[in-house]
Amino acid sequence: MSKMALSLTINGERHDIITEPHRTLLEVLRGDLGLTGTKENCLEAECGVCTVLLDGRAVNSCILFAAQCQGRAVTTIEGLARNGTLDPLQQAFIDHGAVQCGYCIPGMILSAKAFLKEYPDADEGQVREALAGNLCRCTGYQKIADAVLAAARPPAHR
Amino acid sequence: MSFEYHEPTSLAEAVALGARFGVDGRFLGGGTDLLIQMRRGKVAPRHVVSLHRVPGLDAIEQNGGIRLGALVTHAAIERCVAFRGGLRALVEGAEVVGGHQIRNVGTVGGNIVNASPAADVVPVLLALDAVVTCVGVDGERLIPLERFLVGPGQSARRPGDLVTAVSFDTPTARTATAFLKAGRRRAMEISVACVAARLTLDAAGERCLDARIALGAVAPTTWRARDAERALEGRAPTPAVFREAGRAAAEGCRPITDVRASAGYRRLLVETLVSRALARCVERLREGAR
Repeated sequence: MSKMALSLTINGERHDIITEPHRTLLEVLRGDLGLTGTKENCLEAECGVCTVLLDGRAVNSCILFAAQCQGRAVTTIEGLARNGTLDPLQQAFIDHGAVQCGYCIPGMILSAKAFLKEYPDADEGQVREALAGNLCRCTGYQKIADAVLAAARPPAHR
Repeated sequence: MSFEYHEPTSLAEAVALGARFGVDGRFLGGGTDLLIQMRRGKVAPRHVVSLHRVPGLDAIEQNGGIRLGALVTHAAIERCVAFRGGLRALVEGAEVVGGHQIRNVGTVGGNIVNASPAADVVPVLLALDAVVTCVGVDGERLIPLERFLVGPGQSARRPGDLVTAVSFDTPTARTATAFLKAGRRRAMEISVACVAARLTLDAAGERCLDARIALGAVAPTTWRARDAERALEGRAPTPAVFREAGRAAAEGCRPITDVRASAGYRRLLVETLVSRALARCVERLREGAR
């Protein structure tokens, strides 16, 4: 089988890897780089637990060849905290008790991250729509929506 | 999955690779369908030809008409300011495809080439009389979308040929469009039925001059309801006339019963969605929304 050299920028750090063309970004993140914060579940882009940011946009890493990410910037959940301080979204999830089993949370947070960057004044309806591609089996959606709204721009600043 | 990966950097190179590999090759756009088909073992290409380094395929061009490059994503259509007037249906079709993650990656070219009868953007393009640009080693062919769509998963694209763009005219000032979709839930759902309508009224707003009704998920291909269109021409844009058009579409469509809905329910949906989409076009024209 043919091998290929890839240069991926993940959480700001460049990784040069040798891999096979059929391997997905999800497989490379978890298997090659040990970044297991990105979860694996349906492998058909239905559930959203594998969500990462590609050049700032939310994507399903389970249906993306790693080769498609050559030279592009990938952000995983491990890349959100800065110098040991959680991203405001991560802190909001903790503060609102939005995390139950936790499996969907990295994907939820990254979807929300990309969404709030583009729509900082979002209302609850928009937040729920933005998270349509992320399923939570604990059915904790209300607290998740609350957490994302809390991390949105405060109404006083709109 | 085991294949050779190719990244051509020009259209000519991509087309040459397509011709060389024929049925053994697959072009890779966003991959949101291709990867799933490959993982399920439905397709097993020996060569995957990524299109991402081919310049210009992700461009939205507005020169009199509109030309969407094959790699334009659903997210790019949603965000395109030019589509907020008479082309609103295009945004409405794009914004119900999967979740954000899919729309950020999935492309209009892929939506067309997959030829799914339940595609959401395709009915809108059909209602706009869109034309598909197909490029092979022997040159470029322009194929009306209606003829391009042959059957479920089947198109008029020859193996190895590359769809580079889909084009359509900018609607006139007295034209509005609308797209409506019925699914079992409001997001992340394959259509049970969907409809795209394009309606042009006369200057007084009292007569339908021209209409297109395109339906998804109720026939082997995305399908134009010509009887419904004829039921509108020259008539007043009233609820009674729109219901008549809805009935004509419901009678003409050929839905199947599957896990999502029965054929009978789909017909009922078609009747309602068609008349509702037409009413929405009229609302938009009256609001001067375009």
